[in-house]
Amino acid sequence: MSSPEYPEYVARNVAIWTENNAKYTDRKAAEAWARELDWGVFGIPEAELRALGDVTGLDVVELGCGTAYVSAQLARLGARPVGVDPTPAQLETARRMMAETGIEFPLVEAVAESVPLPDASFDLALSEYGASIWADPYRWIPEAARLLRPGGRLVFLRNSTIVILHQSLEGATEQLQRPQRGLCRIEWPDTGEVEFHLPAAVLIDVLRESGFELERVIDLYAPDDADSHEFYDFVTADWARKWPAEEIWVARKR
Amino acid sequence: MSSPENVRLWTKSNAEYTDAAAERAWAQEEFTWGVWEIPESDLGVLGDVGGLDVVELGCGTAFSCAWFARRGARVVGVDPTPAQLDTARRMQRETGLEFPLVEAFGEDVPLPDEAFDLAYSGHGASNWADPYRWIPEAARLLRPGGRLLFIHGTPLATICYPDAGPITTELQRPYFGMHRFVWPESEGAVEFQLGYGDWIAVLRESGFEVERLVELQASPESRTHEFYSDMTAEWGRQWPSEQIWVARKRG
Repeated sequence: MSSPEYPEYVARNVAIWTENNAKYTDRKAAEAWARELDWGVFGIPEAELRALGDVTGLDVVELGCGTAYVSAQLARLGARPVGVDPTPAQLETARRMMAETGIEFPLVEAVAESVPLPDASFDLALSEYGASIWADPYRWIPEAARLLRPGGRLVFLRNSTIVILHQSLEGATEQLQRPQRGLCRIEWPDTGEVEFHLPAAVLIDVLRESGFELERVIDLYAPDDADSHEFYDFVTADWARKWPAEEIWVARKR
Repeated sequence: MSSPENVRLWTKSNAEYTDAAAERAWAQEEFTWGVWEIPESDLGVLGDVGGLDVVELGCGTAFSCAWFARRGARVVGVDPTPAQLDTARRMQRETGLEFPLVEAFGEDVPLPDEAFDLAYSGHGASNWADPYRWIPEAARLLRPGGRLLFIHGTPLATICYPDAGPITTELQRPYFGMHRFVWPESEGAVEFQLGYGDWIAVLRESGFEVERLVELQASPESRTHEFYSDMTAEWGRQWPSEQIWVARKRG
């Protein structure tokens, strides 16, 4: 249950992710936990992008871990992950997977805007479509900075600004659908989800003001042989072969 | 590898517009950014340039150089188009404001290593030179800790332009693979654009830290520019038409 100090949009997003877990992420958890680390709806291998590099021995906090498959993949590579998520149903799925696989790591029920973990205790803060789109960037990015040790890295996957600007309720189009002016909080009228998306320029400011140096942005593409995703249908493989639908940001705490 | 087509285009543009506009541009009290002429005082990008050694890469008629010089900078203007440099020299005589002008392309500048505190490009090298060559060249010219500032069109604008005519609200060309553009109306002139990831990568690999990106938008009062009219004020009020990168040479 959401605690009283959660921001108002959290209850709505938790309800959506409880529903998505029942529809999709719970039954996909076994496959996701067993998979090699990859990125985005078209599954670009980490081995190709090297966004994370060697994670052996790193203390990792995953902000918005869902069913915690990324944390599980990192644990198998020798990292010490902690998964943080506000959706109890997804954390239950994560616990079931821990029991099934024997891969164990701590799970914390919390929003990324306010994480009950100590300062400077992680080498890597990671968000794969977690806090990176569902939490307020003006709060979760400083919180990630607080959790990281100096020199630690923040890596997150989110949608591109281009796909957000071209997104209709039916998916990514080739027509601009909304202005970029003032872009930050997006309420999707069909589901009531509240998402956050800052244009690159504003996100760079937030990162710098939170003590990060920007190291890399990776525009993700759909490979030639990619098919559209069965569940995350906001973009087709055809669209994403021409324009980036997703991007990975890599920043280092100074 | 200076491009003769680019020089030809800017010789023509100088005859059509920039020569006649030079007097007004040189007289500007306030430094403004981009087609919407957004005042520097709104953005706070330049900081105090007094006493700095400044090189402008692709200075055209050198009106930005003139502004830097009036603010106490020691400025050098670099441009490959003789006609625009002639206009700049005429303006130097008319105003008495003198500074060196070098006829060269931003990709290969005959000036010494680590001789400048600020490298600036306003739709100069930033549009018309290959970023994989001019960004490392800017790094070479700068002292450690020196800044690179440049304004150019946004990647979003590039992919929303049709082959000819005003900008649209539709994706006209792919984002992936962006690098060299030869627009049919530009008679062979070559413009350059990269995606965000590639811009950041070329800056980092050339030794820069990315400090800031500023995306420019038109205000309700903005009008479509008389000469640079393919970018419309209506589009520019909703989406960023141009962007300024602020980077610092490490060390």
